[in-house]
Order: sequence, then structure tokens, then C-alpha cells
Amino acid sequence: MDKMNKPVPAIQLTGLKKRYGTGDAAVDALKGVDMTIWPGEVVGLVGPSGSGKTTLLKCLGAVIEPTAGRMELAGDVIYDDAWKIPDLRALRRDRIGFVFQAPYLIPFLDVTDNVALLPMLAGQDNTSARKRALELLTALDVQHRAGAQVSQLSGGEQQRVAIARSLANHAPVILADEPTAPLDSERALTVVRILNDLAREYQTAIIVVTHDEKIIPTFRRIYHIRDGKTHEEAGEGRAI
Amino acid sequence: MINLASRDVLHGWGKFLFTGIGLGLLIGATLTMGGVFRGMVDDGQVLIDNSGAELWVVQQGTLGPYAEPSSLRDDVWRGIAGIEGVAETGNAAYLTIQMAHAGKDTRVMIVGIEVDRPNRPGAPPYLTAGRPILQGHYEAIADERAGLKLGERVKIRRHDYTVVGLTRRMVSSSGDPMIFVPLKDAQEIQFLKDNDALVNERARTAANPAFNRPGVPGLLEAAQASATQAKSVNTVLVRLVPGADPARVANEIQRWKRLTAYTKAQMEDILIAKLIATSAKQIGMFLVILAIVTAAIVAFIIYTMTLAKVREIAVLKLIGAKNRIIAGMILQQALALGVIGFLVGRLAAGLWGPAFPKYVLLLPGDAVAGFAIVLSICALASSVAIRAALAIDPAEAIGG
Repeated sequence: MDKMNKPVPAIQLTGLKKRYGTGDAAVDALKGVDMTIWPGEVVGLVGPSGSGKTTLLKCLGAVIEPTAGRMELAGDVIYDDAWKIPDLRALRRDRIGFVFQAPYLIPFLDVTDNVALLPMLAGQDNTSARKRALELLTALDVQHRAGAQVSQLSGGEQQRVAIARSLANHAPVILADEPTAPLDSERALTVVRILNDLAREYQTAIIVVTHDEKIIPTFRRIYHIRDGKTHEEAGEGRAI
Repeated sequence: MINLASRDVLHGWGKFLFTGIGLGLLIGATLTMGGVFRGMVDDGQVLIDNSGAELWVVQQGTLGPYAEPSSLRDDVWRGIAGIEGVAETGNAAYLTIQMAHAGKDTRVMIVGIEVDRPNRPGAPPYLTAGRPILQGHYEAIADERAGLKLGERVKIRRHDYTVVGLTRRMVSSSGDPMIFVPLKDAQEIQFLKDNDALVNERARTAANPAFNRPGVPGLLEAAQASATQAKSVNTVLVRLVPGADPARVANEIQRWKRLTAYTKAQMEDILIAKLIATSAKQIGMFLVILAIVTAAIVAFIIYTMTLAKVREIAVLKLIGAKNRIIAGMILQQALALGVIGFLVGRLAAGLWGPAFPKYVLLLPGDAVAGFAIVLSICALASSVAIRAALAIDPAEAIGG
């Protein structure tokens, strides 16, 4: 909500374009994407390989620079034909959470420190960062593995820790790239349930890029992407 | 903030430790090379210090007695002793020979000293066992590294000598242990020809008409007798009265006695700057090469370790870790590797140093300098890996 109590989208994309290469070799990966995602929503982003899903995710994650268009994050313009934020790394650290296909936890840190690392990078002291990490690990029901090494966790547990990490700095947006790909049906649905619960509880907007037919019916809204353009449709919103 | 470097090291401590040990052995070899050089310098220094001399009087125009041959008559000391500022003189003869002992050849320096009274210049300043030489012939004092035992008899050239005393760190500039014998014996060892050569020389002299001139009786006998006398020494060692200026006394000796006299500083220059100059350059080259090899190996190790963490570094960058945190992690690991390597290297050099045939002197100052150099090399070498890490695209964490 802004000052006028008007709801503010967590993500607002307007005519977002991304072109790779130049001249005859140029490829338009995104051809004017419009997208609005509200706080507390879990939205699916689906499309065939090469359709531009990952490019869109990288643009949203401020990892690559779009070619044109406008991106707003919780009401702040972060891109308008050029980056409007000088420190993109700080933007990613403080306002965007990432969940990857593989958990990509830091193998030389224990579970707690994997989660606490983000608040520490943001300048929090070790004690409060670890306290926050334990809160999230408890919320994700992996607090009993808090002192374990990453290699001692199951795939599902690792993914939960990765989700906890993405929430550690109270990011208003989480970008999840195929978070259920390595998991079986039961665990995949568990992860989606967790994402939905967290979105509701923390009012976080979550975009889930997926091919996973098991979880697509769970989304209330789905963005289909094909040939660099998106179109929105209502999902089944099936209960988990 | 968590120390990422230490966590990573602890996570794979075995691999890190073994890498450090491998590097340490290389650093140990480098330190040992430095120790060999220091040992050479120290050998030269103890040779000067242990002689107890303040001036070395040698044959004119030579760099004797250690760097070049020098021959003086053994009575020139009388004239030197009369010069103002001279407290004491001592003839000395030096000769490096191969001595057969305990079934193997040992290279030793035979030192002839005057034994008429103790503490003459040239005599060993201290003994670790036994007593000084008391007899005019066939007694010896040996450096411990010669491998001789007290009371043992050892053959040097024609005669057997009884070891009556042992001393320590009495070595030549090449590190060969010294064996002190009475001056007369050393003169014979050095200057007297063997029996066959004497017989041959006598026959040649007798056949020379110049020695058989009518009206000069006894000429041939006198000439032949001179061939069997050893009346030369290599140097006269001079001790000065307190307060005497060595340069002035050396100047007086050179001016009036037509000899060359070196002060302690000049002798140090001859032994350390000139005599071992080539060896020092050789070792210096080795040290430079070893330093380059060490840097290359550290760079390679750190680079490989960094490349093994591409995904983690990409994730760190993606979640907002600053470049200095990533660079700091790599730098700290390189320095940690350097610290482990140095400690292992210093330990290894200390263990294998005494087994070297020549003296290996590991100075604390060199260790400190070596430590600083190792850390500098590690820091420098890590820059390659840091550059590679900073070039990693955070998008690699996302894939696609």
C-alpha cells in the first residue's frame, strides 16, 4: 500500500524488452513483457525451452540489463530504459530472494549460516542474523538441522533451507527457478505449499518458473511466455 | 560477518593441509638454499674470527692465505713483531687435503700453528674436549665434523697423528673441517717433497755443473740440503695492542716489509665478497627461480581452488556479496596456504638442514624475511584467482 492506501504491485513490468547481440545476429528474447504481481501472490511462469523464461528471470533479478522497458519493484522504479539503482548487488541482496533449481547452498557453511549469511551481508550482526535464520528454519520446519552441514541434508531439506535463505532479508519478491525440478511429486507439492504459506505470511510476491506439470495446477495466476511475449491466464488454484 | 575463508578451509582442511605441506616442502628447499648461502658466509666469518688475528700478513700482491696461495719465510714475523702497534704474531700454514679416515675420504683443512704457548694467533680459541697441542710433533686438534675421536690416531701424509683435542665450528671457507697440527708438521706436509722426488731432485742437482764448480766446496751439499727444508708459511697472523689502528699498522708492514697486510674488514671482503661471490650469485639465481616456481604453484593452486567454487562465488555475487568479500576470501586462503607452507618449510629446513654436508645456517632474520616474501608471493599469486572470481557472472547461478 502507498501513502494513499492504494495497493502497490510487488512487481510491475511494462514493455520490457531484451535483445542479445547486434545486427543480423540479434535475438529478441523478450519483446515487450507486461506483468503485474501483487504482494502475497504466487504466480507461475511457464513456457517452452527458449521462450525467454530465464531471460525474464535474470532481468527481474537485476542480473542482466534489459534493452528497454520499465520495471518497478514495490513501487520503486528500478529500470526505465536504464538502471535507476546504482548498486544492483545491494538491490538483489535486500529486495530480491532467489530459489534455484538446485539449492546452491554454500557447502562450507552450516545450515544456519547459509541462511544468516544474507542478513550478515546486509550489515546485521552475527547474533541477530542467526536469530533470524533460526526463525525461518523453524517456519520451514528444518530447525532440527540448523547445525548440520549442507551435505548432510536431503534434497527436500536443502530446498527448504534455500527458501529460508531467500526470505532472510525480508525481500518483497522471490524468484524461483524450477524449484521443484529435482524433487518427487510429494516433495514438490510440499515446496509449493511452503511457498504459498510464506507468500501469505510475509506478503511476498513469488514468481515460480516451472515446467512441472504437477505444480502448474496449484497457481491461481499463470503467465505463459512464448517467443518473448507473455500472456496471462487464470490458473486452477488447486488446493494442496 | 562470517569468515568465509576460514570456513572453506575448515570444510576441506585435509586437502588444504596436504596442499600446504606440498608447498611447504618447496618453501623448505628455498629456505635451505638461503641457509646454504648463509652457511658459506658464516664459514668465512668463523674462519676469520676463530683465527684470533687482526691482521693477515701475506706474500706481496696475493689475496692469501685463504683465497690465493701465499708463501712467506717463517722468520718474517720477527720484523713484523717490531712494528709499533703489534702485540703478538703467529705463523700459520693452511692446506686443504683429502684424508682417508674410517674407510672413506674426508676433505679437511690442515692448519699449522705455533704451539710454543697457548692462544697464539691461529690456534683454536676453545676446545670441546681434550687439551691443547703440547708436543712439537704428531699431535692434532680436530673439528668435530672431521669425524675423529679423542685419542684416535690418524694418518696425514707420511705420519700418524694423535687427536688430543676436539673443537667446533673451525672450518675453512669451503666448510671443510680443520685439523690443527704443529707448524713444523704442517710445513712438511705442505712444502716437503716425498722421498722419491727428493732422490730424483738430488740426482738432478748433482748432475748440474753449476753446483760442481771447482773451488766451491760444499755448494752441492748446501743446495741439496735446502731442498729438504720446509721454511715457508702461508701467513703471519698479527694481534694488535689495544687501541692500535689496524689500517695504520697494515700500512707500516706493507711499507717496510714489502709484504701485503690485510685488516679484518679487508679479509672479510676477500672471503665473503670475492671468494664466494660466484657461489652467492649461483644460489641467488636458484632462489629467484624457486621464488618464481613457488609463486606459479601458489597461483595455480589458488586459481584451481577458486575455479572449483565458481558456482558458490556466482551465488555469493547473486545474493549480494560485495567484491571485497569474495576477494578477501581468496586472499585469506592464499595467505593461509602461505602460512602453512612457511611453517612446514621452516620445520623441514630445520630437520634436513643438519644432514647437509655443508653448514646450513637458518637465521631468524632470514626466516622473518622469508615469511614476508612468502606472504607477498601468495598475495600476488592470489590476484590471478581474484581476477577470475570477480569475472564470474552471477547469472551462472541461475543457469539457462
